[in-house]
Amino acid sequence: MKFLLFLTAAALTAAPPIVIQNATVLTVTKGAFKGSVVVQDGKIKEVGEKVMIPPGAQIIDASGQYVMPGIIDAHSHIAADSINEGAVSVSSMVGIEDVLDPEDIGIYRALAGGVTTVNVLHGSANAIGGKCQVIKTRWGKDREGILFEGAKPGIKFALGENPKRQGNVSASRTGSGAPPVLRYPATRMGVEDVIRQAFNDAKTYQAEWKGYNERKARGETVIPPKRDLKLDALVEVLEGKRLVHAHCYRADEILMLLRVADEFGVKIKTLQHVLEGYKVAKEIKEHGAGASTFSDWWAYKVEAFDAIPYNAAIMVKKGVLVSLNSDSGELMRRLNTEAGKTMKYGGLTETEALSLITINPAKQLDLDHRIGSIEPGKDADLVIYDKHPLSSFAKVQRVLIDGAVYFERDRDLTERQQREQRKKQLLEKEKQSQPQQKKNAGPGRRPA
Amino acid sequence: MLRYFCRLLCAAALSLSGGIAETPAVIAIRNARIVTVSGPVIAKGTVVVRNGLIEAVGENAAPPADAWIIDGAGLTVYPGLIDAMNTLGLSDSGPMTAATGGGRRGGGPPPTTSSGPPAPPARGPEDRPLNTSYLLAADQISPSDRRIEAARNAGFTSAVTFPNRNIFSGQGAVINLAGERAGNMVVHSPTGMLLTMRSAGFSGGFPASLMGVIAYIRQIYLDAAQYKTAKEIYAAHPVGNRRPDYDKHLEGVLAAPRILLPAGNPKEIERMLRFGQELQQDTILYGLAEGYRAAGTLKRHNAKALIDLRWPEKSRDTDPEQIDSLRSLEMRDKAPSTAAELKKAGVPFAFYAGALTQPSDTSKAVKKAIDAGLPAADALRALTLSPAEIFGVADRLGSIDKGKIANLIVTDGELFQDRTKIRYVLVDGVKYEPAPEPSASPSESTR
Amino acid sequence: MKFLPFFLAVALFAGADDTFVLRGVTVHPVTGPDVENASLLVVDGKIAEIGDARLKTPKTTKTIDAKGLHVYPGMIDSNTEVGMSEISSVRETSDVSELGDFKPQLRAGIAVNPASEHIPVIRANGIVAAMAVPDGGILAGQASLMRLDGWTWEEMAIRLDAAMHLRFPTVSTASFGPSGFSRASFSEARRNYEARLKNLSEYFERARRYQKAKAAAGAGFKPDLALEAMLPVLAKKVPVMISATRERAIKDAVAWGEKEGVRIVLAQVRRPGSALALLKEKNIPVILGPTQELPLEEDDPYDEAFTVPVEVHKAGVKFAFGSFGNQFSRNLPYQAATAVAFGLPHEEALKSVTLYPAQIWGVDDRMGSIEKGKSADIILTDGDPLEVKTNVKRMFIQGREVDLESKHTKLYKKYLARP
Repeated sequence: MKFLLFLTAAALTAAPPIVIQNATVLTVTKGAFKGSVVVQDGKIKEVGEKVMIPPGAQIIDASGQYVMPGIIDAHSHIAADSINEGAVSVSSMVGIEDVLDPEDIGIYRALAGGVTTVNVLHGSANAIGGKCQVIKTRWGKDREGILFEGAKPGIKFALGENPKRQGNVSASRTGSGAPPVLRYPATRMGVEDVIRQAFNDAKTYQAEWKGYNERKARGETVIPPKRDLKLDALVEVLEGKRLVHAHCYRADEILMLLRVADEFGVKIKTLQHVLEGYKVAKEIKEHGAGASTFSDWWAYKVEAFDAIPYNAAIMVKKGVLVSLNSDSGELMRRLNTEAGKTMKYGGLTETEALSLITINPAKQLDLDHRIGSIEPGKDADLVIYDKHPLSSFAKVQRVLIDGAVYFERDRDLTERQQREQRKKQLLEKEKQSQPQQKKNAGPGRRPA
Repeated sequence: MLRYFCRLLCAAALSLSGGIAETPAVIAIRNARIVTVSGPVIAKGTVVVRNGLIEAVGENAAPPADAWIIDGAGLTVYPGLIDAMNTLGLSDSGPMTAATGGGRRGGGPPPTTSSGPPAPPARGPEDRPLNTSYLLAADQISPSDRRIEAARNAGFTSAVTFPNRNIFSGQGAVINLAGERAGNMVVHSPTGMLLTMRSAGFSGGFPASLMGVIAYIRQIYLDAAQYKTAKEIYAAHPVGNRRPDYDKHLEGVLAAPRILLPAGNPKEIERMLRFGQELQQDTILYGLAEGYRAAGTLKRHNAKALIDLRWPEKSRDTDPEQIDSLRSLEMRDKAPSTAAELKKAGVPFAFYAGALTQPSDTSKAVKKAIDAGLPAADALRALTLSPAEIFGVADRLGSIDKGKIANLIVTDGELFQDRTKIRYVLVDGVKYEPAPEPSASPSESTR
Repeated sequence: MKFLPFFLAVALFAGADDTFVLRGVTVHPVTGPDVENASLLVVDGKIAEIGDARLKTPKTTKTIDAKGLHVYPGMIDSNTEVGMSEISSVRETSDVSELGDFKPQLRAGIAVNPASEHIPVIRANGIVAAMAVPDGGILAGQASLMRLDGWTWEEMAIRLDAAMHLRFPTVSTASFGPSGFSRASFSEARRNYEARLKNLSEYFERARRYQKAKAAAGAGFKPDLALEAMLPVLAKKVPVMISATRERAIKDAVAWGEKEGVRIVLAQVRRPGSALALLKEKNIPVILGPTQELPLEEDDPYDEAFTVPVEVHKAGVKFAFGSFGNQFSRNLPYQAATAVAFGLPHEEALKSVTLYPAQIWGVDDRMGSIEKGKSADIILTDGDPLEVKTNVKRMFIQGREVDLESKHTKLYKKYLARP
């Protein structure tokens, strides 16, 4: 796939201005209308019923089609070579940034589903997980090329069943007959303890370094304290420099985290999954946390048994900043219809529904100055659908990121054929060289 | 005792079959074609070897009176081959595969060796899991490793050998592939520290993932830097300062002159180059199965690379309904072109044969690289002078120059060609004659 | 009975509550053209008449004014764990997989919990019936077609023996054991597969011998419950639902079905390839696995799963959708809708969740479309049921109005009202 797309990737670099014409423009923040979007130098230049067409502009005629801001998935695990550092209950020393995989086909699939920005999160095996990385789905680019430049760093926390799983005997059976090695914690009480302890350690560490720096500044000869990558990340959390995205389900644990965070002066940026968020929407709003949830997942585990598809709608109605996420390489291709479901489950308006996958997650990532709506000055991350994106029957036709076309349905149709041909060629070539390959087999395979 | 006796017997048997000749102090090979690698090919000349060193080389070099003469007419002398990465002499090591930790399952845990109750799983970098950075290959060499002779028969006279079982596996050494005792064999130590991206595996403790491995290595280097500073400050100011704890895991890290990091595809290449820079270590990448796609990146980073000669192949006995991905098909097709691409881009590289099942497969593997566009002279260089340069021993190994160690091979034709046979192998000036290979199988002769 | 309060008053003087007329609706019979501003008369739970606004009905027939609503046949999910599994991660709440390789005597329907919280939740999206499918081993047991209303499983059962579920042996090189993921060679996997297939054929051979022995009714005949359950299968009264995903497995399954002389329905079909022509030729229907899935292989087109129904339709093979599991049954219509976005004709999509499953499971004489004489298993919606935005406003099963409240709507109301 890569090789063929390189051809087009080269063309992406020097992009001429693009004008998308005759479309229904769903700006999300400024209403919807029939008109045009002008894109220049990677940004949205002008939006309106009538626009100035820059000289040399490439025209995309989107008659009968719909343009919306690129979809933002606030919770995903694509594009990474590892997800969980599950051996420890606090794994804040690890980070997705170290294991990004710009060639993960999941990036292309997400792109083809209209997703342009993704928060790639660490897993939920530990109370305090690893660092997250926001990327754009710039398929064909290398690691540097997919990073969302300037995005605030984040970190994963996790509450409930997952982080306590390794504290329970049945789940930690090794299969080797050896006695299971249990990992603290085994209960929600322990999860709170781990988080509070970690914040406490981070404060001590912060003070230790402060003391050292002061003594050093006075000219004293002091042995420096040890740097601790685990606590470095938590000090950033204490200082508000790193956003906390906390996996949670039940109302009690949600409240617990908000209170522990209050205790340390930390603001939880988003609650993830937060399937019982509807029960404590008031407290979530008061703390100021965002909520990023599923449209209709439920019953796959005990803590998801009170999950309801009205969760998003209730939280929206109670003033919480809500987004819908996928947590799945498959579902992320259909976040548009996931948003559509909130119109049925709880009666959100079209704009409210679209906000759940655009401007709201942008705010949850502190990136709403760059993405999340169609407004002049924002990144030209746009999706063109053949039907209204909240319809079950809508299909992505084109996706632009930073004003460059990264996905085109027609191009995809051509490329898939080229790919098949190339495969056939290579298979044939390999077949031809088979006798020689047999020769290279180990000595064990040679006739004696 | 019994084993020692056996070894004596074996040695006797070998000398009877002409394996090891006597060891005259002076040998002169004359009338031979000499491929020096460092300079132009000498069409017809003489190489004089005395006391394990090259005493003279040239068209007009005269064989000394006390020399044992080998008539080199129709023969070619090459520098002995250097396997840039192997585990030769280290009987406790596995094959040299580039465990890059790619994919979500990671590299898997290494087989355990120690007996006794298993240690509790590590709960963080402070437990120093999978860390034997202090292990010196030079201390572990066993001259009786049977793989040494096989490698020598294939033309290898030196190897850079590494412990390879852990994340911080230990310190490699350049060894010559012949010697009575380990002490005779070591040319240089420590030569570099081998790192793998191997996780502790499922329920094996920290680090359980690739990102855990990376964070762990990063933390160890931070610890090592602090350790160094703390030791220095303490040495200067022992009064009033708390003595830093001795940590052998960090001692090893500080002792390494360079590190080796695994990388197969462009993603890993970029990742490991960046990592090496971050750690401020002189870094060599190894593996490079998809290096042909990353020549530019490697050049930009002034990288050095060790290319695995075990080219990726289709796995045997697979489901015909299961077609491999285009990506793996491309890789199998193009992997041998990596060397040519790096050559074009000006990236220093060497080959390693450590992952091959048989050293004798080296020729065929190198031939594939040549067929994929690598000039034959560069292929030779990648097994002689280049590895010597990469590991900082070009002053003593890698080419036929006066004063260098007398590691030579004498062939009856071009190296890496099917019919070419190696007649003699000289290691430290000692001549060996490879035992004749078992007769070729029918499939081999019908090419 | 479970009628809504406002409906109560009408019901009091209207006699039987499974007799009524819907007025002002658009009827989508599925088998014929839509009828706008229609009147739909239901008598004794059966569809009696579809007429226009002038349709005359007896004075005593209660009228339900459903102006502007659309009437569709209730949908049928052809593969679920409905009522058999409450919380998938909790073993104690799951009765899907039994031990053993051959257990044709097991009946899924009797393990369907009529009080399962899932039933009202699924129903709320317009699904009136679902196949409850047992799993585990090779011959997993009998799948039961259940209507999603009833006080007991008995009342819910439409056909307890709607199909015999066979998880066809596969040539699988990947396995997951206590020591983690491992890969076997193809030859080894093939041997393993052949051994399992042999066991399967032997089992059917035993069943046939049993059939003969029973017919002969000799003195020494002893009844065997498991083999007894095989008799309707051998008599082609019960189809074998075979889970087979890819081309080779599908072909093997079809060949096996021919050899054994049984009627088959394929399930979880995903990569039929050239087997499609065979399916068409042998007139074998398929239950498609979820459309909303990732492509099977890295190199597959991104929409590979979305377009399987299109291919199957183009090949002229009859198909229905299954949601396979217990969590996403309510999204059944959207599985079909996704295929529409990628080329499946809309009317085919609609049939694949109504008429076709009824035909495949042998109940099209009583459900699957809005036709005179069929059971009034219908839904009233404010739009196309395949659209996510559409609300199912009312539902009737056998002419009885069914409550669309669920655990979810109750929690919604409760917490929306939290001060």
